[in-house]
Amino acid sequence: MQNRLLRKLAVPAVAVAVSALSLGATAATAAASAPTYTIAYEGPLSGGNAQLGLNMKFAVQLAINQANAGRTFGKLPFQLKFLPSDDQGSATQSPTAAQQVIGDSSVMAVVGPAFSGATKAAEPLYAQAHLATVSPSATAPELAQHGWRNFFRVVADDNAQGPADATFAVKTLKAKTIFSIDDGSAYASGLATAFDNAAKKMGAKVTHQTALGTTQCQAGTGNVQQYSAVATTVKDSKAPVTFYAGYYCDFALLAKSLRAAGYKGTLMSDDGSLDPHYVSEAGAKVANGTFISCACADLSKSAAAAPFAKQFEAIAHFPVGTYSAEAYDATNTIISVMKQLGPKGINRASIVNALHHVTYKGLTKVVHFQANGNIAGTAVYIYHVVKGKIVELGLAP
Amino acid sequence: MCFTQNFSQYLVIGLANGFLYALIALGYTLVYGVLQLINFAHSEVFMSGGFAGYFVLQAVVGKQPHGVMSVVMIVLGIAAGALGGGLVAFLLERVAYRPLRRRKAPKLAFLISAIGASYFLYNLAGKEFGRTSLSVPYIFNGSNSGIAFTIFGAQVQTIYVIWAVAAIVLLVSLDRVVAKTKLGKGIRAVAEDAETASLMGVNIDRVISQAFVLGGLLGGAAGFLFGLNFGVVYTMGFTPALKAFTAAVLGGIGNLRGAMLGGLVLGVAESLPLSCVNPAWQDVIAFGILIVVLLFRPMGLLGERLGRSA
Repeated sequence: MQNRLLRKLAVPAVAVAVSALSLGATAATAAASAPTYTIAYEGPLSGGNAQLGLNMKFAVQLAINQANAGRTFGKLPFQLKFLPSDDQGSATQSPTAAQQVIGDSSVMAVVGPAFSGATKAAEPLYAQAHLATVSPSATAPELAQHGWRNFFRVVADDNAQGPADATFAVKTLKAKTIFSIDDGSAYASGLATAFDNAAKKMGAKVTHQTALGTTQCQAGTGNVQQYSAVATTVKDSKAPVTFYAGYYCDFALLAKSLRAAGYKGTLMSDDGSLDPHYVSEAGAKVANGTFISCACADLSKSAAAAPFAKQFEAIAHFPVGTYSAEAYDATNTIISVMKQLGPKGINRASIVNALHHVTYKGLTKVVHFQANGNIAGTAVYIYHVVKGKIVELGLAP
Repeated sequence: MCFTQNFSQYLVIGLANGFLYALIALGYTLVYGVLQLINFAHSEVFMSGGFAGYFVLQAVVGKQPHGVMSVVMIVLGIAAGALGGGLVAFLLERVAYRPLRRRKAPKLAFLISAIGASYFLYNLAGKEFGRTSLSVPYIFNGSNSGIAFTIFGAQVQTIYVIWAVAAIVLLVSLDRVVAKTKLGKGIRAVAEDAETASLMGVNIDRVISQAFVLGGLLGGAAGFLFGLNFGVVYTMGFTPALKAFTAAVLGGIGNLRGAMLGGLVLGVAESLPLSCVNPAWQDVIAFGILIVVLLFRPMGLLGERLGRSA
């Protein structure tokens, strides 16, 4: 285990060394006089959620390497260092991880924390230290309501998704009646409530039911057989659109039951269902035509993102994953602010102030923050299942 | 009114689920009959049957079968599921129960042993077969859940027909086995009075093992039938087995026909209210009915006693 970890850490270290060498003598002399600042990253680097954390970690690393090499922002009047801090994605580990970051006086800004729970636990510490945190992935709405001036995130929160989905169902799909179902989890019932309220406000008639997530999907205590009866009720309602707030496994079972019962309406779900397993478990025949929303963009077909994906894989040794591009954007947003401030102006508090006014065009979106730290605009993307593949249609209206 | 609208459709769904509950419930009732113990690892017997059926079908089904071949595949899957369930039940009795019985352990020790075995088995399955649901190959036209026919306005899916036919065949066979064969006589004798039975020359260990295996065969078959529609995954046993246990108590634990009746009643009781209320109320209503029934008939609908009724 130890050895493997060392090797994992050694890879980026070598990458940094190589990129530094390639800069040659000019950079070396410049570095002698130029100050060095650190950008930290807090997220899970070990434990069950490590993959999500590593998706982001290597993106931060890549952005820093490229900035040091002068490839993103031209030659910078300072050098950047990278400090990853492992919180295992857990709220209990997070304050310790944050304290390590805060204690290093060269750290000027933080990418992360990655998870909502960890963010909630660590943010009071970061706020006290006037250290800006830009999260690529923490989506809990409440995080923006604590009045932390140093809190920013480059993804839309869960509250943005519900209304965006409702607008799509009512305006784009032109549904006058909608059947909305949630799986009883805190995440899904919050999302479904936001969806229902927004849809009703736009004049649609909404019937809402709660079908508990099933043990078949490890998400709850409900029983799988309920979906046949739910499907009958949905079919009777003759609603042209059914919205499901929950996760892909239960959504697949529900979708199968709906089609088996002969329901012909359009199916819609949230980012919990944005997973190829939805298609494989429901079967392409059932899944085709389903709309899925997510506050995350699919970069696989964007030309601008192709080099990013290639370079990411070169240092991470695995392909870009969920929230990689968001972490890359978060890091570059911070660097753009630092460049603008210059070595004389850079300190923790000035970066927080400058982030409140930044406009930076990243890979996933134009990064511009609202006063509470949320990203401006809804930034919710709609996906469509076509011929057994989930493809992105673009930003929700 | 909501209750009468589509009444037949909800009834059909409830009966279909009820047949599955009945098959699983028999495993609880058989073991309770001979040991006066609840086998809490029965959910994993059910799961094992699901996986056994899945792996056998995965190996033999190439192109989607049609007609007679579909029926052959279903029978094959049920057989594989039953064997898998029977084998796990047999091992379970040997490893988790018999050593305790030899040492005359108190009843609570059996309970803990069963819960431990259950944890062991489902975590093992999760580790070996992955954490995501596996779809059993389609073995009849279109999918495993097409519509077979319509009756009184209710659409009957092919899978429901399979559940009902398989369950009726298995339930009637079990009833005959327990009522007519020497094996059944042994089970009834032990259920009636274990000590006297042993004095009369009945090998109690063997009878108990047989009761476990019989219950395992049915539970395993049910696991396959369930997986055919919903997919197999290591956590699949939890809710269905809990419901089946409820069904067994509802019908009168230890009573074979009671378990069958209890399964059907619970299935229908779960399904019918859904025409009027949110599915989140399903368990509240189903268990409410259970409590009311037990208030008036504490021994269940048909009463306890495997020995007498079978």
